[in-house]
Amino acid sequence: MTRADVVVLVLALALLPLLYVKFWHHGAAGEQVRIRVDGKPWKVVSLAHDRRVTVPGALGDSVLEIKDGAVRFIASPCASKFCIHSGWLHDGGAFTACLPNRVSIEVIGARVRYDAINF
Amino acid sequence: MTSVRRIATAALVTGAFVLTLTACGPKPDPVHKEQILSMGTLVNITLWGVNDKLAQKAFSAANEDFNYMQTAYNPWKPGPMGRTNQLLALDAWFSANPSILPLIKRAKTLYHSSDGLFDPAIGRLIGLWGFHSDTLPKGPPPKQAAIERLLAEHPTMDDVEIKGIRMRATNAAVQVDTGGFAKGYAVDRVVDHLRRLGVHNAIVDAGGDLRAIGSRGGAPWRIGIRDPGGKGILAEVDVKGDQSVFTSGVYERFYTYHGKRYHHIIDPRTGYPARGTTSATVIGTDGTVADAAATALLIAGPSQWHHIAESMGVKYAMLVASDGTVYMNPAMAKRIHFQHKPAKVVVSEPL
Repeated sequence: MTRADVVVLVLALALLPLLYVKFWHHGAAGEQVRIRVDGKPWKVVSLAHDRRVTVPGALGDSVLEIKDGAVRFIASPCASKFCIHSGWLHDGGAFTACLPNRVSIEVIGARVRYDAINF
Repeated sequence: MTSVRRIATAALVTGAFVLTLTACGPKPDPVHKEQILSMGTLVNITLWGVNDKLAQKAFSAANEDFNYMQTAYNPWKPGPMGRTNQLLALDAWFSANPSILPLIKRAKTLYHSSDGLFDPAIGRLIGLWGFHSDTLPKGPPPKQAAIERLLAEHPTMDDVEIKGIRMRATNAAVQVDTGGFAKGYAVDRVVDHLRRLGVHNAIVDAGGDLRAIGSRGGAPWRIGIRDPGGKGILAEVDVKGDQSVFTSGVYERFYTYHGKRYHHIIDPRTGYPARGTTSATVIGTDGTVADAAATALLIAGPSQWHHIAESMGVKYAMLVASDGTVYMNPAMAKRIHFQHKPAKVVVSEPL
């Protein structure tokens, strides 16, 4: 084996993990959250920066928290608080909604982990 | 010089190798998505492999269908089902609305196959608990005497008689609440419609209960099943071809009164919210059956779910009990991939 062969092998092997993560790793995190009010697009917000987003819904304000690339409901005027109970969403395709307040959120990204969420 | 040439060749080969690998990476999916507010929930429709024109046609058709069914199947508002409930209370034959007749027939069949645990005829009981309207009740829960009075009248789907297009109830206490299966029935109708339009790869997801047909470019649709305990995704399951995934959960609609939670799935045997189970998930082809079966299994609980699942022809079922124990049949256990380990898993005899 020549030195060039070794270089090819080393480079190829070094690149494989990167390629795997980029192209085949299924659980890629989402990059943005799509917020809808009353079924219509309201805003798309990046998950790259930690912040809180207040969304005006049918009953009042729903408050979203974005942290470490994930998003969750932290306040909502609904009775059941099912939206808050859903917890953090981080995978592409993850989805939850506050039905009484007509606010829904969906994590979007280059890759989608789930095509639908059953609950 | 030879060495430089070799290294350059090596870099070129590596580059070509990298390009080849990256070329194998998935391309953006031809996916169309739409969200509709209907039937008291958010309906998400996902289509794969159709052009923009067909996608818009399909979304428009689904929107119209859901909006029609939302009005037609609402048991408590003016409309075909609301009118049917008024007529059922009169103890006389009447001509059934053509959009309601097949729904009632299915309800009767499902009532029998579930050993009476799925009984939409207890609409008055649902109303007594206050779970018949879009807004959640605040309590207090109904008095025991009122519950016992309604239970004593024992309305069941058996009390609804059908002759051709004629229908009557032999028990004036019958009021059909479509909440336990109308979503499944509506999803089935919309999937049929999409197929007729030429859509063969889609998910119709009505508030988390869904039917998936075809595939995502040959790959299965991946469905996440939410943890009833609020810990994100409990498990994931792949579906391909034509399958419905329906879950009934006590966390969907409930109220708290004096620190006690009362949920919306009423056990027709006791008149009170079902106990012992947090959620029941059923996978099957027919959305109507899966919807009703998920409700029946939740009511059946850990001790009876297997018998009821067998009786309803369910092939894949999973229950999450109130103590966190997960019960499922072996076929379901093979398909389910847990995202976090449940407290305890009990795999039953095959169904």
